[in-house]
Amino acid sequence: MSEYKRQGTPEERRRTRFLNKSSATAVKYLRKIDELPHKPQTLDPFLDVLRHIFVDMNDAVKPENTPTVGTYCVMVPPELIYAAGAMPVKLCGGSYTAFNVGDDIAPRDVCPLVKAIMGFESIGAMPVYQKCSLMAVPITCDCKKKLAGYLGERRPTVTLHVPTGRDRDEDMEHYVRELYQFSDELTKVTGNQLSYERLSWACGLTAAAQYELSRFIKLRRKAPLVIKGTHYLAALNALSYTHISIWTQYMHALCNELESKIRRGEMASKENRPRILITGSPLVFPNFKLPLLIEEMGGALVADETCMGERGAYDPPLLLTKARTELCARSQTKAHAPAPVPPLRTTSAGYTESCKCSKITRCRVLFITFCADALFMITSIRLWKKKWASSVFPLSAWKATTTKKMLNSSEFAWKHSLS
Amino acid sequence: MKVYAGLDGGSTYLKAALIDEHKRVLRTGVTSTGIDNNSAAKRLLAKLLGEVGVNHVNYTMATGYSRKILEVADDDVSEITAHAYGVRVTAPREYRPGMIVDIGGQDSKIIYLDANYSVKNFSMNDKCAAGTGKFMEVIAQILETTIDQVGPLSLESNAPCDINSTCVVFAQSEVISLIARKFDRRDILSGMHLSMAKRIIIMMKKSEKNGDVLMAGGGALNIGLRKAFEDELMRDVFVANHPQFNGAIGAALLASERG
Repeated sequence: MSEYKRQGTPEERRRTRFLNKSSATAVKYLRKIDELPHKPQTLDPFLDVLRHIFVDMNDAVKPENTPTVGTYCVMVPPELIYAAGAMPVKLCGGSYTAFNVGDDIAPRDVCPLVKAIMGFESIGAMPVYQKCSLMAVPITCDCKKKLAGYLGERRPTVTLHVPTGRDRDEDMEHYVRELYQFSDELTKVTGNQLSYERLSWACGLTAAAQYELSRFIKLRRKAPLVIKGTHYLAALNALSYTHISIWTQYMHALCNELESKIRRGEMASKENRPRILITGSPLVFPNFKLPLLIEEMGGALVADETCMGERGAYDPPLLLTKARTELCARSQTKAHAPAPVPPLRTTSAGYTESCKCSKITRCRVLFITFCADALFMITSIRLWKKKWASSVFPLSAWKATTTKKMLNSSEFAWKHSLS
Repeated sequence: MKVYAGLDGGSTYLKAALIDEHKRVLRTGVTSTGIDNNSAAKRLLAKLLGEVGVNHVNYTMATGYSRKILEVADDDVSEITAHAYGVRVTAPREYRPGMIVDIGGQDSKIIYLDANYSVKNFSMNDKCAAGTGKFMEVIAQILETTIDQVGPLSLESNAPCDINSTCVVFAQSEVISLIARKFDRRDILSGMHLSMAKRIIIMMKKSEKNGDVLMAGGGALNIGLRKAFEDELMRDVFVANHPQFNGAIGAALLASERG
C-alpha cells in the first residue's frame, strides 16, 4: 500500500481540507450557474465577485484601507456603516462544509445558517470573516443570540436588539437608541464621526442601488422570463461582498443589457411556465441547489422574498422618479468618494469617477446664488438707507442660511459647483 | 507453543488468522469463499499451519456470515464483537477508541466503541451495495482496471467528477456516460471514492463523535478511500494494521481467552 504523506499539524490539515472542500463546492456551483443557458454577458462581474471570495479566498471587493463590518441580517442599516467610512459585509453562511464543522459546536436544534457561520468562525480560514473589524449581530431569534455570544468571545461584537413589534412608538424609539450606540461603536472602528453630510452621501449610495434594483425587478417580472432566477440570485448574492457603488454599476450594465434583450425578443424561458415565488430562509451561495432544480424542472423563478434576494437592499424597492435619481447621482461627490478599486478582470468595469453634475444643474444653482446675492444687496441697501444696517450683519451666516433654504436638498451640488 | 485460530467467513472472501498465547499475530491468509465454505476453510487453515510449522490448533473461533456452518470451528462469535476485539491489537498506537468503519465485500458497518473498547452501538448497511466493496469492483471492471489499482489511480486526480447516483446499478450507467463525455479515468475513480465515503458517512450518528475514526475491513486497503474519508470528514482517519484480517484476529483473540 503506497503511503500518502501527511503534512503539517492536524489543525493545518483540517484547515486545508476545509478550504479544498469549500472551494470545490463553490467551483462546482459556479460552473453550473455559468453553463445555465441564456446567461447575460453582464452577469460575469457578479460571478467574478463570488469566485473572488469563495474560490480564491480573498477579502471583500472594496477600496483600499476601508475597514469591513460583518453584518448578520438586513436589519443592520448599511447607510450608517458607509457613512462611518467602513463597508458592511453580509456574512450569513450557506456552505454545507462549514455547517458540518459548526454542527459540533452549536446546540443541536440551531439552524444550518447559524451553524455555518460558527463553522467559518471556528476554522478561521476565510479572509472575509477574519478581516472584519467589527461584527454587528441583530438579535432576531434565539439562535442569533447564541451566535452573538459565541462571536463576542472572539472578536469585537455589537448586538442590536431588534424589537419584535412594529406598531408601538416605544419599540421604534428603543431601536433608534440602539442605532445611536451602534454608531458610537462604528466611530471607534473608523475614527470618523457621523454627520449630516456623510449620512446624506451614504443614503444617496443606497438610493442609487435601490433604484437599479427596482428597475431590475420590473424587468424580471416579465413573462416569458428575460433572466433566469438562478442568475438573478447570483447577482444579488454578490451584493453582500461588494461595495455598493461598484455593485450599482454592475447592476446598471445588467439592466441595460436586459432592456436590449427585451427589445430584441431574446427570452430566457418559454411561455406558460409556472411562475414561482420563493420565500423564507435565504438562498446563500453556494447553496443554489433549489433554484437550479426549479429551473431544470421547467419552473420560472420570477420573484423572491428573501434577504439575499430582492430584499437584499432592505427597503422595498420603489420606482423612483427621475428627479430623485438625479439626487442619487448628485450625492456621489468627490469629497467622500472612496479611492478607485483595481478591476477583478481586465474586461470588467472598474470603479468610475463619481458624479458628473449636469451642466444644467450647475447653471441653475449659479443662477440661484446670483439671485440670492442680488436680493441681499438690494435689501441691505434699502435697510441701510432706513438706518437698519445693524440687523443685516453677520453677512456670511445670513447669506449661507438663505441659499441653504433655497437649495434645500441640493447643498452638495452647491458645494461642488462653487469649489 | 499454543496456537489459536480465528476464521472470518465473509460474503466474498474467507480470512484466517493464527495467534499465539502472547497475542502476537503469527500468520494471516485469505481465500475466495467459493461454493464450499467448509473445505475452503480447512484448506486455508492447513496451509497456514504448515507455514507456521504447527499441526495442532488449541481453539478455533469463527465469525462472519458463515460462522454457523463452518464445521472446523469450535465456537462462533458475532462480527461486531470480533471486530471490537481485533481493534485492541490492530489499532495504531495513537488511536483513541471511537468508531470503527468496516467496509466489507457486500456490507459496511460502523461500530461505536467507548474508551475501554467495548461496543456501545453499531449501524450496518447490509441491504444495499452502495458503500461496499461491490461498488468498487463494478466500477473497476467498467474502467478496465483491478481493485488494487483503483486507489493509487484515484490519488492522481485533481478534479473529482460528481457521481450523483447512490445506487450501484444507476452509478454504473452514470460512469459509462462520463466515459462517453471524455472524463479522465482517474477523475471518475476519485469521484467514485468520494461517493462511497459520503454514503458511509451518512450512517454515522452525530451524537457519537468522541474519539478517532479507524478503518478496517478490505476497503481499508484502498488508499484512495482513506483520502476520501479524510476529505469528507475533515479530520485524520486511522487505518488498522492488517485491516482485512481484523475480524479474524479478533476471533482468534476470543479463542485464546476461551481455550
